[in-house]
Amino acid sequence: MLKKVGAVAAFAALASVLVATTAWGSAKAPRHLSAVAAKTIKCGKTVTIGIAYPATGPAASLGAPQFDWASYAKKRWNHGHKLKIKLVVGDTQLGNSPGLAVPVAHSFASKSKMLAVVGPAGSQEVQDSIAVYRKAGLVAVSGSATRIFLTRSKPGNKRETPKGYFFRTVPNDGQQGDRVAAWISGKLKFKHVYIIDDEEAYSQGLADQVAADLKKVGVTAGRNHISQQQQDFSSVITAIPSNTQIVYIPWQLPGQAQTFYNQLRAAGKHAKIMGSDGTDAPGTFQPNGNGYVSGFPVDFTSPVLKSFMKAHNHQPETFGIPSYTATLVAATAIQKACKAGHGKTTRTAVRKQVQKVKLSAAAGLLGFGIQFLNSNKSTFQGPGDMGGAANFAVYQITGSGTYKRVG
Amino acid sequence: MHLLLFNIVDQIRSLGWGGAFELLRNGIVLGSLYSLIALGYTMIYGILKLLNFAHGDVYMVGAFLGFGVLTAFGGALNPGIGLVPLILIMFAVAMLGSGVLGVAIERFAYRPLRNAPRIAPLIAALGVSFFLENSAQLMTNGFQYNYDAFQLGGKNGNFGPLFDPVFTVAGNPVTVVQVLVVGSAVTLMAALIFVVSRTRLGKAMRATAFDQEAASMMGIDTDRVISSTFFIASVLAGAAGVMYGLYIGTTFYFMGFLAGLKAFTAAVVGGIGSIVGAMVAGVLVGLVESFAIGYVGGQWSDIVVFGILILFMILRPTGLFGAQAIQKV
Repeated sequence: MLKKVGAVAAFAALASVLVATTAWGSAKAPRHLSAVAAKTIKCGKTVTIGIAYPATGPAASLGAPQFDWASYAKKRWNHGHKLKIKLVVGDTQLGNSPGLAVPVAHSFASKSKMLAVVGPAGSQEVQDSIAVYRKAGLVAVSGSATRIFLTRSKPGNKRETPKGYFFRTVPNDGQQGDRVAAWISGKLKFKHVYIIDDEEAYSQGLADQVAADLKKVGVTAGRNHISQQQQDFSSVITAIPSNTQIVYIPWQLPGQAQTFYNQLRAAGKHAKIMGSDGTDAPGTFQPNGNGYVSGFPVDFTSPVLKSFMKAHNHQPETFGIPSYTATLVAATAIQKACKAGHGKTTRTAVRKQVQKVKLSAAAGLLGFGIQFLNSNKSTFQGPGDMGGAANFAVYQITGSGTYKRVG
Repeated sequence: MHLLLFNIVDQIRSLGWGGAFELLRNGIVLGSLYSLIALGYTMIYGILKLLNFAHGDVYMVGAFLGFGVLTAFGGALNPGIGLVPLILIMFAVAMLGSGVLGVAIERFAYRPLRNAPRIAPLIAALGVSFFLENSAQLMTNGFQYNYDAFQLGGKNGNFGPLFDPVFTVAGNPVTVVQVLVVGSAVTLMAALIFVVSRTRLGKAMRATAFDQEAASMMGIDTDRVISSTFFIASVLAGAAGVMYGLYIGTTFYFMGFLAGLKAFTAAVVGGIGSIVGAMVAGVLVGLVESFAIGYVGGQWSDIVVFGILILFMILRPTGLFGAQAIQKV
């Protein structure tokens, strides 16, 4: 029996290695893709955009709002434009190891009618797949990959994506980390901070940034880690010192954050709690009267948001809003490229148009206008990041569970 | 390495005896859940020599069934009936529902492969696991569902009686729900031992596990015995699912994956096929995990737990209570 189990395991391992090292699993793109990049495509009545997101796997609950909002963008766009868009789905299974971001990128790259991609969702996925997108000439516009170095070089190293191929409709970790640290140390004036990341690239990057920023102002934060599959936090909570004033949890699953909060209270600990945009989910993450989140400065009175909520069980699914914006960015760029090419275009032309897209705050829904940087700005931002007023807001979660903007 | 050791010592010192007790308590509660799930793995392996990878997902279904009952009765914040009958109904429905699911899995996924090479039901088990997981994901849209167990029976959003302390040790409370989880787990395990060692069904189960063909020739309806084993194993998993929901406060389509792996580890460490081994090792895994999180850090807990599994496999392949199989030559 064990021999057979071993044989299956060996076969599975061999298959994984094969998939990982051959064209469909490798970030090294095959040559034929560069030909696709330059190929002229007839725009016709409907153009194709890929959406790379976690439809299944442990992070599927993150992917659901992204898909819902991207679909909503498609619906609204198609209602008001002659040139319709079609979304082709690629399930990257973020959080599973190995994920499927690279095979999805190959699949998108080989679809000759595909003109732009919304996603990938995770920073690690962008790192893994960007070489394929580059070779295929496809632009990736992510609504959730926030790692700083995707768009900004670090000392001794180049930035992790080629300029002009990766854009994001979400402020990066540096911006969010700065905002959070300033809020904790400057506004709340807390000295005893505990940070728990969920071991994903998003969470670790943000936690590191906040810890580093706090250290600069003399606040040393305690640190621990959980996994995205974990739900019993009793022992992590035991390790939190009793004098802790705030626990910062830059997690991606708001339900998990709420469970943590409940267990923290059940353990008799009364520290405040602060989440990130990943837990910015009114109705799900509700540490009533005791919490904060950093999130997009979304206008909750927007009729577009209200209409979305009406169709989605009254949930704003805030985490997905940047994917709505990313879909609009991609659609706008394609429309302009098609117009400039008199009904024909190329991926390269679309890619260049993304750089020029401008969306108003009302159209983009994020609370600030969209315009992409073409050069470095401040300490963290680089080409592909949003310029202008793009930054995070801080919300206080009131006793009744509503999110009140306080910063 | 030195820094890690320094941090561990520092953490032990800073948490003190109170912290050590909390970790012990947390480990026992968590370990009780692992034990209940591990029993399912070990029982099914014992009788069919099958690693039922879908077992963790049966536990997940149990948690959702409990949640369904809770919701049907108005939810934790406004239940239509008293706390005790509500919890009893949650347990009854989840245990029965999971039991029926277990029987159905055996009947439709494993029984047709009974005489196939052993690799076939193993692959079928993986398939059933993915089927259950992804079905639950589709039905729940991937979201976590909150039992609101903290408020169950409470007033104005305050914690309910499940989180009242029963007693305290060094200032650390042991709550009603923790006693409920450990007490129910111990009761169910005792009942299982009674069934296996003192009843006709138990005798038939042992006979079937020892030699299915011979048992069949002795007039034992082995199909029925195997179905009963799946039913009992799944009932235990369903109970663990509700306990988890009441204690942790949430249910999630992916919850069976990691819990299943940990419980499987417990079953192997205890000696797969050994009921007592699964019970003891379940608690052991819970304790190791708890102390690893508390003293070493959350990022190390799985490394420690699965490291122990590897160590056991090398040093004692039969596990804590497993017996060396006698090979007929």
